[in-house]
Parts: sequence; C-alpha cells; structure tokens
Amino acid sequence: MHLVQDGDPRAFELLYDRHGGASFALAYRMVGDRVTAEDISQEAFLSIWRSRTRYQAERGSVRTWVLGIVHHRAIDALRRNLVHERRRSSAEGIEERHEAPERERTDVEAARREDARHVRSALGGLPQAQSRVIELAYFGGFSHSQIAEMLEMPIGTVKGRMRLGLEKLRQGLAEKVA
Amino acid sequence: MNVERHDIHAEDPAPYVLGALTESEVRRFESHVAACAVCRDEVERLRPAADALPRSVEPVNPAAGLKQALMAVVEADVRERDGASETVAAASKRPGALARMRKRLSAGGGRPALAWASASCALFVGVLAGGYGATQLTAEEQRGQTVAAKIDEERLPSGSGSLVVPASMRDGGVLRVHGLPALDSNSVYQVWVRRGGEMISQSLFSVGQDGEGAAAVTDDLEDADAVLITREDIGGAKAPSENPVLTVPL
Repeated sequence: MHLVQDGDPRAFELLYDRHGGASFALAYRMVGDRVTAEDISQEAFLSIWRSRTRYQAERGSVRTWVLGIVHHRAIDALRRNLVHERRRSSAEGIEERHEAPERERTDVEAARREDARHVRSALGGLPQAQSRVIELAYFGGFSHSQIAEMLEMPIGTVKGRMRLGLEKLRQGLAEKVA
Repeated sequence: MNVERHDIHAEDPAPYVLGALTESEVRRFESHVAACAVCRDEVERLRPAADALPRSVEPVNPAAGLKQALMAVVEADVRERDGASETVAAASKRPGALARMRKRLSAGGGRPALAWASASCALFVGVLAGGYGATQLTAEEQRGQTVAAKIDEERLPSGSGSLVVPASMRDGGVLRVHGLPALDSNSVYQVWVRRGGEMISQSLFSVGQDGEGAAAVTDDLEDADAVLITREDIGGAKAPSENPVLTVPL
C-alpha cells in the first residue's frame, strides 16, 4: 500500500486487481444494475487513487477502507436517485454471477470465499426482523426513517433492531474466529 | 458530556455505522461523538460488524473496460505530475489552453513552470486530501457526478453512454459507452472535448463484440461545452470528419 501512496500506478493496478471484484460486487448488490455499479466503482477507485495518502493502516485493512468508500458512493448514488428502480435488498440481490478468472483462484481467493460464507452464516443466524433492517440499511441504502416508513414501525424500533442485530453479528463473527 | 444530548443520540451508533443516517444527521451525530465517549465506544464496538457486511457478497467481475478506463486516467494523472513543466510547453501550442493555464498560474503566482507544478500537485493531492475513510470525506470530495450522453439514434440505435466526472471537473473524466457497433479494422471511435468553437482530441478507442467501451477524457472540463464521439480513420483525425454520434452536454 505504501507504493500506492507514493503514486505508483502499477501498485494501484494491483490494488484494483485485488479489490475491484469485491467493490463492483458490493455496488452491484446495492444498486442492482451493472452499468450503474461500474460507474460507482469507477468513481470510487478514482477517489481512492486521488485520496491514497489518507489511508491509515491503524484504522483498518485496505479492503475495509476501499469497500467503505464504495459503500458510501453507492448510498450517495441511491439517494441522488441515479438508480430509478431501486432493488430491495435480498439474499438474491445479485442475479448474475461470474466465476473468478483461473488466475484469481488462489489461496487468498479461497480464504475470502470461506470468509464470505462465515459472514453470510452469521448474518443468516440473526432473527429475520434484525437482518431485514440491517440489509435494507446497508445494502439497500435506505435511511432509518425510510425503513421505519416502509416497515410501518417506529424509528426507535428500527434503530433498536439495527443495534441488536449488529451486536449479535459481532458476537457471531467473534465466535467463528475463536 | 451533555446527558440530554446523549439521550438524543443513544440509538444512533448502529444506523451511523450502517450508513442509515442522513447527511445532516451524520453531521450532528459526529459532532456529538466528538464529546461523548459512550457513543464513541459504541461506534467502535459495532463498526467491525458493519465492516464485515460487504465481505458476505460474492465477488462479481466487472467489465474489463472498467480497469482500462480507470488506469488511463491514473496514467494521465501520473503524466501530469511527472511532466508538469512539459505540460506548460505543450499546452502553449494550443489556443485556449494557454489562457486557462495562465489563469491558473496567475492565481498561484511565482515562476510559471514552478507555479504550474505547484498547482498541479495541489489539484492532484489536494482534491481528496485530509482525513480517512468514506465517512470522513468532505461533501466536496463525495460529490462527483455521472452525466448521461445523447445518442444519434439513427446511426447508433442501441447505443448509450455516460461521462463519469470526479469532484473536480478540472481532472477530466471517464466516458463509458454501451451498445456501440464494433467498427471495421480501419476505423476507431475518437473522443473530443468542445470548448467554444474549439474541438480538442482526447483519446481513441474501440469496442468489443459486446459493444462495451471506455475512454479517458484528460482535459479540464470546467469550462467545456460538451464531450463528443465521432468515427474516424485508424490513427484518429485532427478535426472531426462527421457530426458526433454521441454527445455529453456539460
């Protein structure tokens, strides 16, 4: 990452190779449209390139930093109504999947797929009322007040379910690591 | 710590880390968190769970053109950074560009080449300089925009396109197209920036069998009128030889 921060384009290309697929997948999951998802990924990676000196390792992994920026941009796109037909968050959010190229089927890739299964398992272990508000917020880009209106429940209930769900998810992930 | 304010924000850490607060709510909450250790601890406690959520999504491969377009802009940035003084010389050969360059230089003062290098670095690093993480980017940095293209439907009936412009329009953008017909081996698509009556060539590109393509727009778009595409002979043209098949009005 320090080479990226020094402005080395080849290092940045490697960073894209490592995190571009996950970034696009997250944007695609959120907006449900390939073209918009690619625009979001493009904007996010340009932003990453131009703000590369801001990354601080002590604040988290590169992947978390990159995906955080993509997530923020996707929410921004959703709230700017760039996506006219919002896709409600669901387990079937991604309709079109592609296998990673042969060269990417490395140990790292296998570990990431295993990690993805763990997170999905922990998320799937939440009560549906909690996972629903978390998915609507994180992947759907809806604000807490929009979710409250959508589910016809008080805002306080929505926030409470988010907190309980995240708390259980945190515990579930910790147990899997232990 | 103001207890009443904590009561107001006590349930905000979870929607905050999930991105479910509105912009104004985020500002108010971040202001509160700066003075409230309880909420700060709660944010730090819940954040790893929220950060894990994108890891649940299976990777999906984006189009190859995405990487090509991205790297074209990155390489252009690097060229601008490394060849700042040469940029002044090259730009001075182009009517209009020199005036813009002088305008920038006069704002920065100092010797021309040095001042341009300084201005260039300021644009390069300064656009998104500062804190860390998506939630810490400023509103200016977050902005960016996607502008839809107008297509000549008679000549490109199934075409579409858009221009992705970063927060600073001075940094150019990336033009992406879909559904364009692949041209014969003696032709290419050429991208132009129109500013006043001037047409400035940007890049050449071709599309694959799927009709997808992308091209870098490296010029300053701040005072440009439009970004356009024409079809030209291989190697490109000095001036457009036909009316644009695609136009992005700015």
